Parts: sequence; C-alpha cells; structure tokens
Amino acid sequence: MKRKYMKALSVLAALSLTISLTACGGNNSDNSASSGNSGAANDGTKKIQIKVYAQHFDEDTAKPFDYAVEELKKEMPNVEIVLDEAVQDGYQKLKTYAATGNMPDIYETDWITLQTFAKSKNVELLDSYPETADFKSKLNTGLESRLTAPDGHVYAFPYTGIEFQLIYYNKDIFQKAGIQTPIKTVDQLADAAKKLSAAGYTPMAIFAKEKWITTAFYAGLVTREDAKGFGDLEAGKPTALPTAFVTAAEQMKKLQEAGLFDANATNTNYDQASSQFYSGKAAMFINGQWEIYSSTEKLGDKVDWMYTPAKDEATYESSKGFINGAGSPGGFSVSPSSKNKETAVKVASFLAQKYSEYKYTVLGSPIVSVKVDKPMTGEVPPMMKRIADEVLPNVKSYATAVNNVQIKNAIDDNTQNILVSGFTVKKFTDNVNRILAKENK
Amino acid sequence: MNRYLSNKKAIALFLLPALLIYSVVIIYPVLQTVYRSFFNWDGLSTATWNGISNYRDLLEDPLLITSLRNGLIFALVLAVFQIGLGTVLALACADPRIKGRKLLKTSYFIPVVLSVTVVCQLWIAMYDPANGLINRLFNLLHIPYQQNWLTSPTVSIIAIAFVNAWQFMGYQFSLLYAGVKSIPEQYMEAATIDGCSKWMAHRKVTIPLMKETYKFCLIVAITSGIGAFVQMLIMTSGGPGTSNYTLTYMIYRYAFMESNYGYACAVSVVLVALSLLATMIINKTFDRNEA
Repeated sequence: MKRKYMKALSVLAALSLTISLTACGGNNSDNSASSGNSGAANDGTKKIQIKVYAQHFDEDTAKPFDYAVEELKKEMPNVEIVLDEAVQDGYQKLKTYAATGNMPDIYETDWITLQTFAKSKNVELLDSYPETADFKSKLNTGLESRLTAPDGHVYAFPYTGIEFQLIYYNKDIFQKAGIQTPIKTVDQLADAAKKLSAAGYTPMAIFAKEKWITTAFYAGLVTREDAKGFGDLEAGKPTALPTAFVTAAEQMKKLQEAGLFDANATNTNYDQASSQFYSGKAAMFINGQWEIYSSTEKLGDKVDWMYTPAKDEATYESSKGFINGAGSPGGFSVSPSSKNKETAVKVASFLAQKYSEYKYTVLGSPIVSVKVDKPMTGEVPPMMKRIADEVLPNVKSYATAVNNVQIKNAIDDNTQNILVSGFTVKKFTDNVNRILAKENK
Repeated sequence: MNRYLSNKKAIALFLLPALLIYSVVIIYPVLQTVYRSFFNWDGLSTATWNGISNYRDLLEDPLLITSLRNGLIFALVLAVFQIGLGTVLALACADPRIKGRKLLKTSYFIPVVLSVTVVCQLWIAMYDPANGLINRLFNLLHIPYQQNWLTSPTVSIIAIAFVNAWQFMGYQFSLLYAGVKSIPEQYMEAATIDGCSKWMAHRKVTIPLMKETYKFCLIVAITSGIGAFVQMLIMTSGGPGTSNYTLTYMIYRYAFMESNYGYACAVSVVLVALSLLATMIINKTFDRNEA
C-alpha cells in the first residue's frame, strides 16, 4: 500500500515537473522567435527580422513610423520589421524586457531610462559605428545634445529636434476681455488672468495632474532668468536654489494668486484641459509645440502662441532667443544582445532619419533631428511657420537638462504644489534645497 | 509508534507540494526583498552592498512622515466608517422588524464588486469643485461650505479614504453581520427579560460577544490603511506634490519612477514591519481585555 502510494506521488511529481518544464520551453521558443532572427520571405529569400519597440498609437506616432518602415523596405528589402507597440508606462515594459533578458533589437526610450540601461549594459554604444558619423554629419545645428550624451557617448538616434513649451492663447477671447498682446511681463500676464476670470473664463487650462507640465511652465520662467535652465542645478552643484529659480517660483506663485490656474488644476488631465481650451472655456493652454496641429485643427486662426513672459520688457526682449526646451539623448537605441546588431544599428539610424523626413515634409515641422533635402509637401500651420521663421533662426541657446532624477522629481513635486493655495515660495525653496543639499554635497 | 511515524511521513508528503509552492512564491520573494534592501540596486545593474544606508536615508526622508501620517488618517477613516457604520447597519439588518433587509444587505455589498477604477472615476466627478455633486449638494442645502476636495493637501487624503471606506464597507459589513447572527437569540431574550433596552442589550451583549470579529475587522482596516495605494494613484496621482503619498506609493515611486529598487525594498520591509506591529498590538490589546 505504502509503495503504491509512493509510486503515485512520484508519477504526480514527474508529471508536474514535465508540465512546468514544457511551459518554460514554450516560453523560450516564443522569446527566440520574437527577438528577431532570420525568417523566410514568401519569395524564398532569407529575411532578417528586426523587432522594434516603438510608439505607435496615434497619428503623430503611427504615421511617421509606418512611412519610415515603407522606406526601409525599398532601401533594405532583406529586413523585416516586427513592431512591438510601446505602451505609455514610463518604460516599465521595456525595463521588464531588460530585466528578463528579452530586449527587442531596437527600442525607443528617453534619457532617464537610457542612463539605467547604460549602467546595466542594455544599450549598445553607437560611438564608433559609421552610421553614427554619418548621422552626426546630417544633424541640424544646435542639436548635438540630442545625439551625444553628457558622458560623451552616443546611445540613440534621435528623430526630433529639441522640443519646447509654448503658451497658446485664444485671440478672440483675449480681444473680448480687452487684453493687449503680446504679453511680455509676468505682471501683464497676472493682470490678464484677473480680467479673464472677471469675464468668466478659465485664464489658463493646464493638465497639472501630470507634474511635468507645471515643471515646463516653471522652466519657461527660469529660462527667462537663466539661459541654461535646470542644467545649472546639476552642473553648478548648488546646495541651495540660485536666485533665478527663486524669482521664477515667486513669479509662478504670483500668477497662481492672480487666478491664472483653475482651482482643480492639479487634478486636471490632458483631455479635460485641452477640451476647456478647445471649447472656448479657457483662454490659454500650455503644452509643447506638438500641440500646434491639434489646436490649429480645433480653433483655426483663432489660436496663436506667445513667448513665456519675463520680469520686465527688457528681459523679455533680450531672452526671447533662450529656448526652454532642453536637449537630451533619446530616440532609437539598439540592444547589445541583438543577434543582428550591425543591421539593427543601420535600421535604427535609417528609421530615425525617415521619421524626421516625414515630420518635416508632411507635417511641416522644422523641429527634426537631421537635415531633410526634400521639400515640404503638407500644409504648414501658421503657428509652426512662426516657429520656423521667427524662433529657430534666432535661437541663442537651448536650456540644458537636469539628469539627476531626485532633483528632477523634487522640482516636479514642488512646481505642482505652487498651484495649490497656501503653498508658499518658502516651502518650495526649502523642499528643493533639501534635495539639492543632499544630491550636490 | 510506527503507525504514528508513517502518518507523519504521509502528512509531510502531502504538505510538501504546498510548502514548495509557498516557499517559492512567498518565502523566497520576502527574503529577497529583505536582502535587497541592504543594496544599492537599480533593478538591472549589479547591486552593490549598501549596509543599513537605505534605512538610515529612510529615517531622514520627509516622504516617510507624510506617508505614515496619511496611512494613519486612512486607517482611522476606514476603522471609524467601516466598523462603526458597519456595526449599525449589521444590527439594523439583523433586526426582524426592518423590512426590505435582503435588499439592504445586497445594496451594501454592490460597491465591493465594482471596479476600483470605475469607483474612483465616479468619485472624481462627484468631488469636482465646480460641477461635482458634493459641492452642488452643499449649495442646494444652503450649506456655506465649498471645498477643493482632491486638490487641497489637507482634505484630499480624507476624501480619498472615504471613497475606499465607502467601497469596501460592504465587505466589513458582511463580516459584522455574520458576527451579529452568530450570537444565540437566547442571550438577547435573557437581556430583554432582565429589563435591558435594545441599545443596552447590544452594548452589553452583542458587541462584547463580537470581539473576535471586531479584532479581525480592525486588523483589515488598519493594514489596508497603511498599505493603501490604488485610490491615490487613480484619483490624484499622489498629489498635489506628494501630499497623498502612502508607504506603498513611496515604493511605487522609488522602484518604478526612480529605479531605486534597493531603497524601495527597504520601504517594503518597513511597510511589512508596521503591518505586523499593528496586528500584534491589536491582538495583544484584545487578548488582554479578554483575560
């Protein structure tokens, strides 16, 4: 009886082991297939499969990518792109791929994640590849920081230039409320906020549930005072906020107290904020220059953008060429574990260039990484034309980015806090200073 | 004796698969978390030994105070609302004079089975300062009180805790109701014959006899409060600033937003330790009272 019982148990154990091993084996085979190896095409030729983890969820991301892939088919017919659609999860899925040794051949990511990947050797150093030298030769002026990281290495091929934030405004509402444009100073913007509130409008729609947008607004004010922007918080190793940053915090608080932002701003998401602006309930809206297409589509010639105001008109005029966008490395990177690394590097560089080409020729965006020698075919929105004619030729400098995650998070948290009544500038400086003292000691 | 030993072997053999699974999915990750809390580790690169630095840094981390305070507020709201109101409702539903008790019992449990995301979105709309139902209701009732429910750093944590309490009150209610129903009717009858009012009978008989149920409910409320996370994430993303952070939110931030997994592991250890401590205190307090 006892032997029988033991036998049954052994069989059960063997079965469960077999099942689990089969499952593991199944996973492995799946992984190897998806990591992108050779496959046979319909015409019998061998194709190299390259798995690309890229954003592909709306017109702005899907169309340029699809265009680049179509162009790749002409240039490298032996390569087949397997798309792995990126999710907006702060690159958690990508980090999981890295942790499990399942990286796609090419992936799209930002500088914060690239720094972790560089330390853990999950990103291929592109420094010595001929494609990198070629990419550098085609790079638009002033965009070196998009390709070459602060540590001197190249980790990714970027497709956009340095993007920056704009204040969009509804010209009709401004006219109705009797507000003169352009607004040049913080005081003028505070007055405008009061007038707009009195007229029943939300002065500025801001999706401050996302902390980066309050940081972006603050960055605009800082850059008027200090051309280097947040970069000075790291490069200069200050243990307390420099004057420019305190001034900008005071200006932001002044604007909050003038009623520029909605009481529910810190709990407003993009959809809510943009719909306030597009439905004519809000007079202003803040977002990156990429919002130009949507705002033109929704508001036509009623909408325009303005520069971030400064403490006085003289500062406004002298600092107009300081751009609040900070260039940081990002774009298409290559995994060192790719079985077709050389091909993947070529493909990554090609995709980035063609992505730029689409954005320039079809969307009329001049904010692309490489020079494009084809003419624009699409209709260029007037606001984008203003950027091309008025801003880019007169850029004096781009702000520099802060790479330290703790400092960046401290600014994110506390700029969001400024939008809350009762949160003082002193609390702001105390909170950020605590982090600066710790990180820059 | 032999028979006893062979039985022991059989028991051990039967337990082995479960123990193996338990070790792999529970014990190993817990030990790994404790071990990793002594390292500087970004989740991908080689971890470097950090000693007790993570714990030392944690003591100086202002987020810890915020998170502990919020956890405590959350736990208090849950305890008062779920257990207090839950008891009243359980007593009411156990009273045969109340008509429609079955419908009431079902209605209390409905929020429990709703998706947390849906419930949060619903309450976000209700809390909206301009168009939300709550502020409008105050207006309608001529109550001169308007609040930025989810954007005020002081009020929002209570507002969020209330949502959690509201949603999961049905769960605590079902436990309390079972507790009330488990008390033999003779006890209440005896109390009534002795001249107790209904309220006094509940105070002197029902509630003391439900001690074990209360102990469990309180442990659930306190540990849920300390570890609360989802509602904060959905309703305010932890903001404004970090005013709605809890220990679990801290773990999320350090692990997933800052890739500081070693430090996040240290916060996890503190979270588990606090939950265990709270459970022990509740157990001891209830057991002492029993003695």
